Amino acid sequence: MRLKRYEDMNLQDLDVMKEISSIGTSHAATSLSKLLQKEVRITIPEVNILSYDETVDRMGQMEELVAATLVQMSNEVNGLMLFIFKQDLANAVLGKLMGKQYESFEEMDEMDYSALEEIGNIIICSYVNAFTQLVKVEIDLSVPSSTINMLGGILTVPIAEYGYETDKLMYINAEFIMDGERLSDGLLMLPDIQSLNHILEKLGIS
Amino acid sequence: MAEKDIKVGIGDMKFARGSNTVITYALGSCIGITFYDPVIKLGGLLHIMLPSRSDPNDPKVFKYADSGIRETVRKLTAFGLVKSRTVVKIAGGAKMFEMKGNSDFGNIGQRNATMVKKVLMEERFRISAEDTGGTYARTMLLNVENGDVVIRTVGKPEKHL
Repeated sequence: MRLKRYEDMNLQDLDVMKEISSIGTSHAATSLSKLLQKEVRITIPEVNILSYDETVDRMGQMEELVAATLVQMSNEVNGLMLFIFKQDLANAVLGKLMGKQYESFEEMDEMDYSALEEIGNIIICSYVNAFTQLVKVEIDLSVPSSTINMLGGILTVPIAEYGYETDKLMYINAEFIMDGERLSDGLLMLPDIQSLNHILEKLGIS
Repeated sequence: MAEKDIKVGIGDMKFARGSNTVITYALGSCIGITFYDPVIKLGGLLHIMLPSRSDPNDPKVFKYADSGIRETVRKLTAFGLVKSRTVVKIAGGAKMFEMKGNSDFGNIGQRNATMVKKVLMEERFRISAEDTGGTYARTMLLNVENGDVVIRTVGKPEKHL
């Protein structure tokens, strides 16, 4: 294996991941747009390899309440996909879908939670679908699991899952644009190290 | 009075003596362990992430329960901590996501808790209070002046361990 850790990725590797992510996230935006029947645009994503603390800092605060959807990848690529809703994106989506707005996640009910879980799942699935077509790998996805809790606690899940391999996360950061408003979007794609090597090999970079 | 809280990051340990508050935010599957010697008002907070250090050359000792607890005890002992009067409290070890059809996923919290208890027992500490498991994150604070340990979670009142 060429790469032993995420941080071994060089600029070319990161550029390729960024290219693919950009197609993945635009597919995700299209799905969201269809679902909400509303124009959703997306900025070109940045792909960063960050430590736990850096990821929390980029996304918000340790104790900030967020909603997260987690999907496991298996088959040719093993790993995790994590999508994080902050309050602004959750409100934009729930507002359009159900006509609801909230001050805090704590006021939401079960139905809102399921809606967010499903939207997170749709975003992840469309991203991964675009990814598999481009890279020509088979990826199976698990059913989604979600939670609403502290950002810091949620991000310990991927960091602990791969804690024996790496201390870094691959953070794909783009912004959805709805009604001229920029909404933060946090997508984390975390293939295990073996799968990351496999992806880059498939793309002819090794 | 208004001293700044001492923050403990993931896989780290900090301690203080006399006054001050040591705090670690949003423990998910990780575990926070407080050691407090009331006689000399010496308190440390360790934030571990994984059960055991498999690579003995890994310099991140505080990342793992086994090496983290031993190193914390070694350090605090050097500053005068006496095992027999030390109050130990633990919190964290949650399962943040429930994976349908894959119950093994994310049980790292439970494995962490088991390991922490095992190592503490080997080191002859008694755990005087714990708040582990569940599906939510916890922020843990240790007040070094009086040994009070506070747990903060979402949507629930603060809890004193």
